[in-house]
Amino acid sequence: MTSLLLLVLAPLFSGSVKWLKAKLQNRRGPDPLYDYRNLVKLWRKAYVRPHVATPVFLLGPVVALLGPLSAAVMLPVLPGASFAGDFLVLLYLLNLGRTLQALAALDTGSAFGAQGSYRENLVAALAEPGTVLALGAAALASGGLSLAGLARLAPSNALVYLLVLVALGIALVAEGARMPVDDPTTHLELTMIHEAQLLDHSGPLLALYELAASLKLLVYVSLIGLLLPLPPLIAFVAALVATWLTLAFLETYGVRLRYLRVPDLLSYNTLAGILAALGVVLRLQS
Amino acid sequence: METYLVAAPFVVLLAQAVWALLARSPLALLPWTLGGSGALLLVIGYPAWLHHADGVPDATSGFYLALLGVLYLALGPYLGTYLEHHEPRRARLEASLLPLFAAAMAGIPLAPVGYGFLFLWEGMTLLGYLLIALDGAAAVTGSRWFFIASRVSGAGLLLALILLSRGDALEGALKVLVWSGLLIGFGTKAALFPLHLWLPKAHPAAMSPLSALLSGGMTKLGLYGLYRSLTWAGAPPAWVGWALVVLGLFGAVYALVRGLAEDDYKAVLAYSSVENLNLLLAALGGYMLLHTPLFLLAFFFHQVAHALFKALLFLASGSLPGRALSELGGLWHAMPRTAAYTLLGIVAAAGLPPLAGFLGEWYLYRGFLAAPAGSTSLGLLVLGVGAIALASALAAALYVRLFGLAFLGLARSERAAGARDAEGGMNLGLALLAAALLLVSALPRVVLSGMDAPLYPVVPLFLALALAGGGLYYALRRRRHTEYGTWDCGNGAPTARMQPNGLGYSEQLLRALPLIQLQLRSSPTRADDPEPGQVRVVVRDPVEAAHERLGALYLRLARTVQRLQSGSIHIYLMLQFLALVIVLVVIWP
Repeated sequence: MTSLLLLVLAPLFSGSVKWLKAKLQNRRGPDPLYDYRNLVKLWRKAYVRPHVATPVFLLGPVVALLGPLSAAVMLPVLPGASFAGDFLVLLYLLNLGRTLQALAALDTGSAFGAQGSYRENLVAALAEPGTVLALGAAALASGGLSLAGLARLAPSNALVYLLVLVALGIALVAEGARMPVDDPTTHLELTMIHEAQLLDHSGPLLALYELAASLKLLVYVSLIGLLLPLPPLIAFVAALVATWLTLAFLETYGVRLRYLRVPDLLSYNTLAGILAALGVVLRLQS
Repeated sequence: METYLVAAPFVVLLAQAVWALLARSPLALLPWTLGGSGALLLVIGYPAWLHHADGVPDATSGFYLALLGVLYLALGPYLGTYLEHHEPRRARLEASLLPLFAAAMAGIPLAPVGYGFLFLWEGMTLLGYLLIALDGAAAVTGSRWFFIASRVSGAGLLLALILLSRGDALEGALKVLVWSGLLIGFGTKAALFPLHLWLPKAHPAAMSPLSALLSGGMTKLGLYGLYRSLTWAGAPPAWVGWALVVLGLFGAVYALVRGLAEDDYKAVLAYSSVENLNLLLAALGGYMLLHTPLFLLAFFFHQVAHALFKALLFLASGSLPGRALSELGGLWHAMPRTAAYTLLGIVAAAGLPPLAGFLGEWYLYRGFLAAPAGSTSLGLLVLGVGAIALASALAAALYVRLFGLAFLGLARSERAAGARDAEGGMNLGLALLAAALLLVSALPRVVLSGMDAPLYPVVPLFLALALAGGGLYYALRRRRHTEYGTWDCGNGAPTARMQPNGLGYSEQLLRALPLIQLQLRSSPTRADDPEPGQVRVVVRDPVEAAHERLGALYLRLARTVQRLQSGSIHIYLMLQFLALVIVLVVIWP
């Protein structure tokens, strides 16, 4: 259920962020529904397949989309699958998509694709521990190990949850390839992280990749929404609007970090994760 | 179970060993004997494991027998074809020694504590050494590492087993001694950090099917030993559990970082084995500390998963045209079957759902998350969850690099362009392992049905991903598309040298996680030389350097002691007299 909701909302979200950014930058910009039309247009086109490509070239976009899509089933925004330890399966399904995408980028024999592939690996490897620790801490603080059982933000768990929110926020910009980690609008291949992997995918393949990227972003948004002290659907919408505004403002007024400085930012993610886990254990002890 | 039935696979293997020496065509029966003994072991072991039997074999022995059985079953047909490419005399020797090695391994889970166990253990390591050494000059270093490691392991084990077979209650210093011996003895075999160094040297040196047997089978027997020690030596002191958890988790991360710096295809696989074994040791350590059954689930299930995917990957590596990642590339086109099997193997090995590699990690996570409140759990939880998360992300990077550099992109050398795919029995062996891996992935209860295991919805996820993925893939393949060159910024087609090589792919990650050092070495250039100077990145591993210093120290000590061996009869007589005095002093009362 949540998968379908996120799938339908994903183009609207990415499109409206573009629209808001354009407004903030005094440009006219595309209208918020542009991404739907773009996806349909891309889906109808023929695609180009490099000579060296293998079946992995097609498998990449397919799994990149199916990963976040199946992960979203476990998000209790609308009723879905829920069981102890589901947040781990969710994170690893996201990893599944990313891994196949990194493989497909190597499949073209292009220097840019390979560059994007190892850069994404670096970002992922450094963002992973903090994210898992943060979600684990939130689950422990709520006394269960499933996302549906997560408690809402309250004075009693405020410290832990704030740290968790910091970690998830950083994970969102890192995994979602947004500023300050990556710039989705860059046109220079040398500076790309996420986009460099997609250079040789066109038409329907590009459509799948674009949909996958915004879907993944929404999965993180929903995770943040699960922690907010509001009823489920309203919390989701609140998180969505907050992320929408933050991303547009960050990408208008902020700058992108130099690639080699990205580990510094991600170390805060790890630190927040560790502190959150420590906070939970100390609280359980007292 | 009837004794003659348990003896049957061993009889078959011994018969094959003798037959291979005498018969005219030593390989003719190997697929049937080795594969058949594997099937027998599976038939003997699996029911014992499933029904918690407590005779011979009991449940634990049954587990390992079944595990080895599956490996032998796949190796039989594979070896039948693989060994045909070897020189006849060598093939004859291998067709005789391999079954002996297999028999020694399968005997270990059945042997009771004592000399029989030690005999089989030493027999296994000796045969393993001989088999690696048969590879000739290229394997000298690897087989020596293997031999030295097995001496270290044997020394620790001898100490522990002698003390254990006295049958006394263990207390105080004795208990410390026994557990240290067990940790060194079995830990070395199971590649416990920092005793792991031999594994990435020895396993790649062996021929691929032997590497599969070593990584998939033999290392598991080290884990078997440590698990069995719980019944042999009783409850371990807390420091054993802590040592296993801390060294295991650190070792896993370290092994991956080291593997990311490795250019040898099989050495990367070997480092990944070190990582998995260390995670398994951490699971066992967690069980010793907290007694959470989830750790045992992780321990047993991940052993199966690792044995299957690692054997699959090693067997598939047997058809590669070379081992250096910097010379491979684009192999998919020349060897699509091998590439497809490898792809399945790496997705499982990178610990991604819905394949089997993920479930073990899931149990491990949940084991650490279920740690009860208390001062020990504080460190355990943060350490465990953080380290596993880092390790799994690094494992994904390691395998993307391995597969991407070897099988995708453009060929980096002539040799890579002219590779040939696996054939005949080799295909059958690979297919068997792949089928077993898929079975265990889709239906983990095959392994865990007796253990009351919580599961995530594996089957729906497996089916949904397979069906939706297959459908979408099929739809995309049928779409209109054109073949064209890779995007090149309009500068002319990219060449193979523009792709990153082994170290180029992982350099930035290695600099972010400085467990090993990267040094730039530039070749000397002369002013009148028109050739540009070359800069190479050299990997420096502090653990290896420490081992080398230790080795040099040992050699110096040995040379000093050697002076006693002067040939002078006076000194020898004095030594004998001194020895007599010491013995008298010790036994005086």
